[in-house]
Amino acid sequence: MTHPSFEAQLDAYLDDELAPADARELEAHLAQCQECARFRNERLELRAAIRAQVPTLEAPAALRERVRAAVGAARGVARAPRRFAVRGVWRPLAVAASLVVVALGSWRLALQRTAGETLAEDILTSHIRSLMPGHLTDVLSSDQHTVKPWFNGRLDYSPPVYDFSGRGYPLLGGRLDYVDGRSVAALVYGRRQHLINVFLWPVARRPAATPASRTHQGYHLLHWATADYTYWVVSDLGLPELGDFAGLLAQADSAAGAPK
Amino acid sequence: MESSELARFEAVVLPHLDAAYTLARYLTRNEHDAEDVVQDACLRALKYFEGFRGEEGTSARAWLLAIVRNTAFSSRRRRRPDEGMLEFDEAQHSGAVADAHPEAALLRRAAKESLGRALDRLAPEFREVIVLRELEGLSYKEISDVAGVPVGTVMSRLSRARTRLQQALREEGEG
Repeated sequence: MTHPSFEAQLDAYLDDELAPADARELEAHLAQCQECARFRNERLELRAAIRAQVPTLEAPAALRERVRAAVGAARGVARAPRRFAVRGVWRPLAVAASLVVVALGSWRLALQRTAGETLAEDILTSHIRSLMPGHLTDVLSSDQHTVKPWFNGRLDYSPPVYDFSGRGYPLLGGRLDYVDGRSVAALVYGRRQHLINVFLWPVARRPAATPASRTHQGYHLLHWATADYTYWVVSDLGLPELGDFAGLLAQADSAAGAPK
Repeated sequence: MESSELARFEAVVLPHLDAAYTLARYLTRNEHDAEDVVQDACLRALKYFEGFRGEEGTSARAWLLAIVRNTAFSSRRRRRPDEGMLEFDEAQHSGAVADAHPEAALLRRAAKESLGRALDRLAPEFREVIVLRELEGLSYKEISDVAGVPVGTVMSRLSRARTRLQQALREEGEG
């Protein structure tokens, strides 16, 4: 049913290049068109594959020097004195800036650095692994009533599965993953070109924990626990939007009532 | 040029040298040509720099990338006047990776080569939109400025380029 110009529209939507009104229209269409939803999922996989396999490069140091020398020579100016050596100034600045970002992202982490750290690394590894071609989903469906039963007999619990396509976070599918020494449910959601992995498994009944966030290698991880499940959410999506998404999940959970 | 102007050039343009090199490398498909292109492009950039004041809507990054792009395309014509557009060759990519299982590292390396090769095999007009969008993160408008084509063309080219890369991925998955 898709044809090239419509595909281009879908691409523009995933690239966040459509006007809001058009984007909403397309979102509505995506929620009910199986074929377009499949197209979207394939594009998300491609995006992840490009990210993983086609690196951005760093200009060789020798090239930098050549450029500076050539620039100086072309203008008949002796090589800029060292105090103009921008490279030397910008590099540490850039490093400092990125350190600040990391520090901001992980300050909560520093406050509660525990065994949870290894778990967070596990979760992140699983997320990255899922981005490799063919690893994202075992059950590919945007229908929560297909995804939920799929876990029957594969897990010793039946994870709650919601679809938020009406809110711009469509369910893309689910898969079985292995985290913290056990098999767990991983649910995959999309947000434009970003992928979100939700890991959840039952916990012994205990007070619900408030969300905590941390940032590793450009990925954000959110973690919280309800009375019944422990949740980990990971994505390269910006923290505010990921927070929104986590809010939707928590809301749906409490609306569904505490599952047995 | 005043040395302060030179300093301004270095401050405005050189931070984007990695981006310039990345684009040049994927357009020329080899490191050596990429370095030459970047160096040439920087000299051209210097020539026009006095006119560049970072007017509204023109980021220094997109401005430099446009020069790199034009330099790469004209040097390609000069060096290999007969080279037409290289079409993506599906046959080259089948059977690269069979099953998605244990030898993850090996598999990943094979896949890496394969998608990189698929990109190299795209026509340069397709390759550039992929690199500008996926690696450099430019907006459609910026890509249209860099490539010198309307936004609508950027949109359709990008879509077609992605579909071709996807074919490559699919081949690989099926083995």
